[in-house]
Amino acid sequence: MKEVLNQEKSIYIQIAEMIENDILRDVILEEERVPSTNELAKLYVINPATAAKGINLLVDKGILYKKRGVGMFVESGAKEKIKAGRKAEFYERFVISLLKEAKSLGIGKAELIGMIEKAEEK
Amino acid sequence: MSLELKNITKCYGKKTVLNGLDLTLEEGKIYGLVGRNGAGKTTMLSIASAQNPTTKGEIMLDGETVWENQKCLNQICFSREIVNSADNVSSALKVKEYLRMAQMLFPYWDKEMADRLVEEFELDEKQKIMKLSKGMQSMITIIVALASKAKYTFLDEPAAGLDVVARENFYRLLLDEYSESGRTFVISTHIIEEAADVFEEVIFLNKGTIMLKENTEELLSRCIHISGKAEDVDDIIKGKRAFHQEKMGRSKGITLMLDGGEIFDKKGRDVEVSPLSLQDVFVALCGREEKL
Repeated sequence: MKEVLNQEKSIYIQIAEMIENDILRDVILEEERVPSTNELAKLYVINPATAAKGINLLVDKGILYKKRGVGMFVESGAKEKIKAGRKAEFYERFVISLLKEAKSLGIGKAELIGMIEKAEEK
Repeated sequence: MSLELKNITKCYGKKTVLNGLDLTLEEGKIYGLVGRNGAGKTTMLSIASAQNPTTKGEIMLDGETVWENQKCLNQICFSREIVNSADNVSSALKVKEYLRMAQMLFPYWDKEMADRLVEEFELDEKQKIMKLSKGMQSMITIIVALASKAKYTFLDEPAAGLDVVARENFYRLLLDEYSESGRTFVISTHIIEEAADVFEEVIFLNKGTIMLKENTEELLSRCIHISGKAEDVDDIIKGKRAFHQEKMGRSKGITLMLDGGEIFDKKGRDVEVSPLSLQDVFVALCGREEKL
């Protein structure tokens, strides 16, 4: 779990992403309990309200669900859901900006694909 | 449920330290109190805990006047920073005596917790307070604050003199106690950055008034730094609240404070936008607001 928080993004978003990472890497399995708000708060030395905001973000995305009196659990199918979300994000964050930067440097489509293939060989 | 400071003015002789200050502290939150030297932080906390009379204004706890009202005073603990001086009686006490005094003062005192913390911090109970290092004195004030179990607990510079490991331990202990009890804490500190994530809300005190009181996360999400060619930056910030401008050659950097819910519009200009830390925001706000 323990990754290091940075100041580039809101803390609660980072908390949500770290839980997602753990689900993707099978550190936390589907239908397993995730750390509680208070556990997260103590681990990262953050306010429990911030930790709760991160958890709630994942509940809204359908990745976690609440079992009354027990805690928060990972939905079955959560892993696929996270992957799909990350793919969409990948497209927005990397592919679109890659094309934009390539265009401004005058790199054409063929050259760009050539570059990708070259990088893949390494 | 709240502790309210209503239109508080405090003067020491001709000097006005607090100037018509209004503040409401809600139950069950950790507040960070930030202000420059001489901003009035300690005075505000001593007044909020009714250890110090106001020149004007009133302190109310759930609608009741706090001043000389034992029922209310029982709910409030202000653990002062220990100052070494000849006229400070408490610094001549031994650790054990100081804690016993605190026990008499605070009706909900948790002796077990105090003993446990003395051990955890490896303090010698037989030592005189004045013989302790600054960091150890801070540990004593932390013990008093936590073990007081008061519903509203104020800590004045608890991180002062503590090494970085001890500071992190302190914030962990604080979060532990907070998540178990839901008490309200107000913590003043100059070491803003490492405490920022612990504070649900932050209070900026400037020249004796509350400059800002806001959810830390929300404040950070609406403060951004933009830099680029001066004319681009100038166009973007027109009519907005901008602070702390830096100029170098043709470039210009500035801190922008958006309204809640406002989405930043680059207006198609080529500028760099970066997030700010709480410390950056504080420095920017306590500089002068640019008239644009």
